[in-house]
Amino acid sequence: MLSLVKLVKGAIALNWRQLLLGALSLAIFVSAWQMYSWYLNANVSGYAAYVPYPGEVAEAFVDSFVTPAGTDGLVMSDHIIASLKRIFMGFVIALSIAVPAGLLMGSYITAEGLGMPIVEIFRPIPPLAWIPLFLVVLGYLKGPAAIVFLGIFFPILFNVILGVKRVDPILIDAAKTLGSKKRHLFLKVVLPYTTPYLMTGIKVGLGIGWMCIVAAEMVGKYGGGVGFYIWDRSDIGQWDYVFAGIAMIAILGILTTGVASQVERRLYAWMGMK
Amino acid sequence: MPKKNFATALILATVLLVAGVATYVVLEQRGGDDENAVYYVVEAPSNMKGVLAANHIDGYIAWEPFVSDAVVDGVGKVIEWSGEIVPDHPCCVVAVYNSFASDSEGQDMSARFLKAHMTATDWINQAMDDSDSADYALLVDIAVEFTERNESVVEEALEHMKFHYAMDASFTTALENFTDMYMELGLIAEGKLADGGYSNVSDFIDKYIDGSYMAAAASIEPSETILNPDSPIRLGFLKGDIHQLAQAVGKSDAVLENGKSIFEEYGLNVENAIGAPFSNGGAVMDAFAGGYVDIGYLGSPPAILKHLNAEVRTSIVAQVNSEGSAIVVHADSGITSLSQLAGKTIAHPGTSSIQFLLLKAALQWEGLELKLKT
Repeated sequence: MLSLVKLVKGAIALNWRQLLLGALSLAIFVSAWQMYSWYLNANVSGYAAYVPYPGEVAEAFVDSFVTPAGTDGLVMSDHIIASLKRIFMGFVIALSIAVPAGLLMGSYITAEGLGMPIVEIFRPIPPLAWIPLFLVVLGYLKGPAAIVFLGIFFPILFNVILGVKRVDPILIDAAKTLGSKKRHLFLKVVLPYTTPYLMTGIKVGLGIGWMCIVAAEMVGKYGGGVGFYIWDRSDIGQWDYVFAGIAMIAILGILTTGVASQVERRLYAWMGMK
Repeated sequence: MPKKNFATALILATVLLVAGVATYVVLEQRGGDDENAVYYVVEAPSNMKGVLAANHIDGYIAWEPFVSDAVVDGVGKVIEWSGEIVPDHPCCVVAVYNSFASDSEGQDMSARFLKAHMTATDWINQAMDDSDSADYALLVDIAVEFTERNESVVEEALEHMKFHYAMDASFTTALENFTDMYMELGLIAEGKLADGGYSNVSDFIDKYIDGSYMAAAASIEPSETILNPDSPIRLGFLKGDIHQLAQAVGKSDAVLENGKSIFEEYGLNVENAIGAPFSNGGAVMDAFAGGYVDIGYLGSPPAILKHLNAEVRTSIVAQVNSEGSAIVVHADSGITSLSQLAGKTIAHPGTSSIQFLLLKAALQWEGLELKLKT
């Protein structure tokens, strides 16, 4: 009991320290930003208004959720929902294809031989390069979703392949010795061993997915989205609102990765993994 | 446990797929349930014909030659020219970065540029007066090269705009109206006028339009030598925008008999700014702010918006053209009037464009509301 109390106290002390360091880091960043804005204004820079003060951005951030835009009547939450829909669609499709493909390519040399050349042709191409083509051929909804799909697909695929290939042969031999059938070998050994790699692929993929969707929404301006919001505000020169949109992406990226980490933690606990 | 694992994974995968399909179905629904709404997407004019042909939109509003491009190819038809929406509405202007014209040398360069712009515009109008003339053929050649469109598209496009440079009272009034519209839409906050040192919209437009360069240009004579050989004027303009043909004519060494360009004739070394040609007027204003452009051709609305909102200190020194935009729909659609656009999806080039303002106003007068397609 005493040791548990010590452990909790230690954890709180550690969290406080981390919180303080985090707050200090943010304070340094905001101060540097404030000074840079002040410097631009003091020197009557041509683009002083393009780097608004942090306070102006905070005000715009709040206002973006409250006051509907004069052009489209939408508030920030509408744009967040629009972006999340596209991310979700691209993510689901990427997950549905990349996991089975990765498991197959990691498990069977023939599948790897057939799949890898195609993958290697498309993998180095930045998903953003497809934007102009996808928007015309696939349209304003499927186009951005397809770009997100490409951003998420490859990190998941390669991590799953890596996970399968790194399954400890001793575990496989042990399972075989105990009479495990192929299906059980896959479900009991390969799949659990691959899960951490899959989660890493998902987290990396979601980060890339956010980059892709924002870029796609800036080019294919359909149905709102945070990328659209940023483009639209920059088009009319409301840079405090542009920065509010950029901050929103950072928050959404952190939240998305945070949710993935939580899922990962619970999944590991459920599977009896550390 | 393995069975539980497998079953849970299966359920999770099914839920994900069903949710994905449901999201797709919801997102794929086009249009809306508001019978008085016209839905919009934002698209680069150069992509509009392709997007229309692919049936992703029902129509678009754009500047020339992106209107005639669709019409000549049989992809689209015009249901309303911008001149029918607002007769003689101003469109593109020449803007000078105030920092560039802050000394006497910059002011002289700006006046000389204006003289070249006026000469080029006069030459265009004279060439267009006689479509059988050699000058007209040369004008079409220059426009074909600049817009990267074929002769048929260029000749059709030239029919639908007016090239001029004078800034008269109607020009001033139109710019005041644009500013008022943006303020009514909340795209320019009330305080922005005061921040810029203006008492009201009329005061702003009066000060923003600077006729002194055009007045000075009247007495500019050709120069035997290039006056700025080492510090060229960095010119901003839009990609393939035939409204801005005067700058392409000004650069051409085929217009004058002496083999010099019109800019050179007036002693100017003019080069394309870094980033030029730009995709829209907002980008030209951003380049002004970044210090990459000295003089630019752009639409008057983005010049107004970014002058007030982003404090990009420029002056409007000449007009470039009026009219020259249109609303295009599928060639085989039954749409013949604005009222039939209800429930349809129309692309426009962006909030800062005059096409957005024209579309919004035209629909409003028809009792229709322009809404973002969601």
